Amino acid sequence: MSADAAAPAVTTSRPSLLSVALTFAAISSTAFGGGQKASIRHQVVSKGWMDNDLFMDGLELAQVLPGPNILNLAIYCGQRVRGVAGAIAAFLGASVPPFVIVLIAGALYFKYSSNPYVHGALRGCAVGALGLTIGNALELSWDERGDWVEIGLLVLTALAVSVLKMPLLLTLVLFGGIGIANEYRRSRKRDQS
Amino acid sequence: MNATVSTVLHILWTFSQLSVLGFGGGKGIIPQMHRDAVDSYQWVTSAQFAQFYTIGKLVPGPTTVFAALIGYAAMPGRPWLGALAATVGMFVPSSIIMVVVDVLWTRFQASPWRLIVSHGLAPAIVGLVWSSVWTISRGTATGLVAYAITLAVIVLMLRTKLSAPLLIAASGAVGIIALR
Repeated sequence: MSADAAAPAVTTSRPSLLSVALTFAAISSTAFGGGQKASIRHQVVSKGWMDNDLFMDGLELAQVLPGPNILNLAIYCGQRVRGVAGAIAAFLGASVPPFVIVLIAGALYFKYSSNPYVHGALRGCAVGALGLTIGNALELSWDERGDWVEIGLLVLTALAVSVLKMPLLLTLVLFGGIGIANEYRRSRKRDQS
Repeated sequence: MNATVSTVLHILWTFSQLSVLGFGGGKGIIPQMHRDAVDSYQWVTSAQFAQFYTIGKLVPGPTTVFAALIGYAAMPGRPWLGALAATVGMFVPSSIIMVVVDVLWTRFQASPWRLIVSHGLAPAIVGLVWSSVWTISRGTATGLVAYAITLAVIVLMLRTKLSAPLLIAASGAVGIIALR
């Protein structure tokens, strides 16, 4: 997309800060996983806060930077419509409801986790969540299948972290750094051909 | 400095470091979070960690909101304060980075570095997700029933469109009967 279209104030409408916060609160208190991105897109585009291109730019940025994609995306949308105040309103809308819900769940957990039925349910839920994480790891690994350097990095990272207990910062600098260098080399090759 | 303030700062600092390193949507931070919360500071047990992670997947919003539960457990005297400190530490630093970079973003627009960085980091993030599998499995039930549930969830997740919370809830229902 062209550079002029991405200037900070391209949005047409100027919703109130409360409306920004409530929009993201409604999404963050009801939507799960990937469904949240679709909900945010639907809301901001249908309310005329931004067009689809501007939204997709934000999605890309939200995924590159650290932090939950949904939270980053909410902040981006808030910032585009109402500046830093909008970003703060969006942050609160996207983070406070999940925080409250998880605390309620936690309070119940500490109260009832010794009950044998609850205990069984929790153990069942946890092995289910483990299955989801393995499924996610399989899907993500499948995306890397075309390149031996990437597969090697993936395996070395997993071993270094699990077996050698390599700290996260060092892991990202070392294996992330090699991955970025590899990607850079490949992009140079593509440019030359 | 009194004990409460120093614990709050300790929790804030621990989760802030995870926050700024939370590339890939925070998928890669689980092994380090476990090392901090379980191995180094003994705020929670391995089984609690796995169950909190599960609650994070079960509730709407970002999974990493389960940091609140670790903070809750880390401060038995003032659990709400601990939960708040962990959540602020987990969410605020990465959010500040998002705001600042977004202001500068127009300059990065045309840069091929965006894709090089995100694609380049991907193999390490996926490796970290496999480490997360190992980390979580240290706190989950073992035995034939447990393995069967895990396997069934993997297959259903990859082959059907059933939602994550539904699959977790179904696993819990089997657990009530078979993992009590």
